[in-house]
Amino acid sequence: MSGSGVPTWEDVAREHGRFLYTVAYRLTGNSDDAQDLVQEVLLKVRRGLETYRPGSMEGWLSRITTNTFLDEARRRRRRPLDLLPEEPDRVLPPQPGADIALAAEALPDDVQDALRQLPEEYRAAVVLCDVIGLSYQEIGESLDVPVGTVRSRIHRGRAVLRKVLE
Amino acid sequence: MSSFDAGAHLGDALSALLDDELPVAQAAQARAHVAECPTCAHELAAVTQARAWVRALPPVEPPFGFYARMLDDRLPVTAAVGPRFDLRRRAAVAALGAAAAAVTVLGIGSPAARPVSPTVPRLVEAHATSASVGADLLSKLAPMGVPVSFGR
Repeated sequence: MSGSGVPTWEDVAREHGRFLYTVAYRLTGNSDDAQDLVQEVLLKVRRGLETYRPGSMEGWLSRITTNTFLDEARRRRRRPLDLLPEEPDRVLPPQPGADIALAAEALPDDVQDALRQLPEEYRAAVVLCDVIGLSYQEIGESLDVPVGTVRSRIHRGRAVLRKVLE
Repeated sequence: MSSFDAGAHLGDALSALLDDELPVAQAAQARAHVAECPTCAHELAAVTQARAWVRALPPVEPPFGFYARMLDDRLPVTAAVGPRFDLRRRAAVAALGAAAAAVTVLGIGSPAARPVSPTVPRLVEAHATSASVGADLLSKLAPMGVPVSFGR
């Protein structure tokens, strides 16, 4: 930590490197892109491009990492959101009475592959919620979207994940 | 939303219920609905499963030496955000240099063991320096040689 209280990129790398890499890996889904993303995040920290507000260091890093990831994704958009059905029920056809085995296990690699199949905006919301553990309010502030949008993205993202992994 | 529409399925409120993101009164109302609605019960079970899978994902270790290389080299502050810094390629250059040095030490492919000019260490240093300026040299090079000046 520098004298001004603003974390240096060296602090981040030394003390939060594993956390930062985990977030980057869960967002990108592969080591090469995760490394590139981490480097971009650290460069932003180094250049003072992101304002640090005293509080959760991991929340701050998550926000930078996710927005850097989404900025890159928007630049090379490959899977527009409008390809997804609007209603969750069309993603997950209702099957009244179906028995879902809650104890069923999925391999981490399979879950990661399924995450990669989500549109980036949904993936970011799911990762911020279920990997990092942010509240809907915090996710909304991180992504600069209303809480209702956060809720919708998380729910649809989970519905798609369940569909892909079933 | 102060209450749920009568007869309508809960949709994304199910994830909010799961995540304790609903006000107490709405949560109670949602639970009562789920108890009576097989469709919402099924959907709640599905998103509960999906959340459990993602939550169970373990932390991921960065590649060995990943941060150490950055701390050793220092990030190029003038590099633009977006284009890659090619640290992995720099590592590849270093690995190639190490391999070249090993070949020289072992005398592989050089039965006459003639002196090399320039020396392998200087060659490696020059290549690594060239790669460290930020340009994506390595991908452009192969299989060409590196134009390096040794005139100093």
